[in-house]
Amino acid sequence: MNQVALSTKDRLRIELAVRTVDWELDGRVPMARRRQIRQELRSNLLEAATQVGAEKAVRQLGDLKALAGSYLELYRGRLDFRAGAIWAFISYVAIQVLGFALFFAFHAGIAAGGSHGGSYSFELWPGFGPFAGEVSASGNSFQVLLGSPAHLLLVMVAFSIGSSYRRVLARH
Amino acid sequence: MAENGAHDSQLLKGVLSLALMRLLAERESYGYELVTQLHELGLTEIQDGSVYPALGRLERDGQVTSRLVASSSGAARKYYRLSPAGYAALTHIELAWQSLVRAIEPILSRPVPAKPKEALR
Repeated sequence: MNQVALSTKDRLRIELAVRTVDWELDGRVPMARRRQIRQELRSNLLEAATQVGAEKAVRQLGDLKALAGSYLELYRGRLDFRAGAIWAFISYVAIQVLGFALFFAFHAGIAAGGSHGGSYSFELWPGFGPFAGEVSASGNSFQVLLGSPAHLLLVMVAFSIGSSYRRVLARH
Repeated sequence: MAENGAHDSQLLKGVLSLALMRLLAERESYGYELVTQLHELGLTEIQDGSVYPALGRLERDGQVTSRLVASSSGAARKYYRLSPAGYAALTHIELAWQSLVRAIEPILSRPVPAKPKEALR
């Protein structure tokens, strides 16, 4: 079969396909294994591209997400850092949304109650915080805590559940 | 093989490991070369993307071993060869396959009636 010389564009196309598969494995498959997969995929694609052209070589791989899924089935690591990060982010947003909702209710109460001079503060969860907010006497200025040890703890719990629940469920 | 020459993808999936092991029993080889061999045998529906993870699965299960060899394209090729456990498994799978073919063949060789008979009562 005739050999096709590869242009920079061909090599970029191949690298893009390799990285697309690798991206799906990011945080889920151990780094050393990902490196092996990238290396093997790149080597096979380069070989195929010299035979049939880069575009067809990539097309012959089929659905890249499905390919990554097959590798995930084989080599999924103990922890899924990507799922953990998503769980951590969602839990942080949920905590803040709840905190803000309660804080604005607290703020509205102070403004409506004709407050005296000074500032008013609250803790969303007494003894486990602070998820604190503070409102000035006039109600015109306020501040809310965006991060605290309690935030960190909850986010870490969410991360550890998110990164390992799939493996735990698979075991049962 | 179907009349139009196409193979059922589920059937192919089932026999892919057997085909790969059989080819590797003949000669040490790497991913794309195995794909090419399968295509030359008429299994053109098999995509490269199903062969590479299948090789990984065989390696994980100890049926094949691998080694990296420098290639002219720059990236090192990963060559696979059948392990002693792989040879044993291949013998077992080949026997199972032949037994299955023997069992199915008489059914497939019967003429198909134009209309199925009524159930026996």
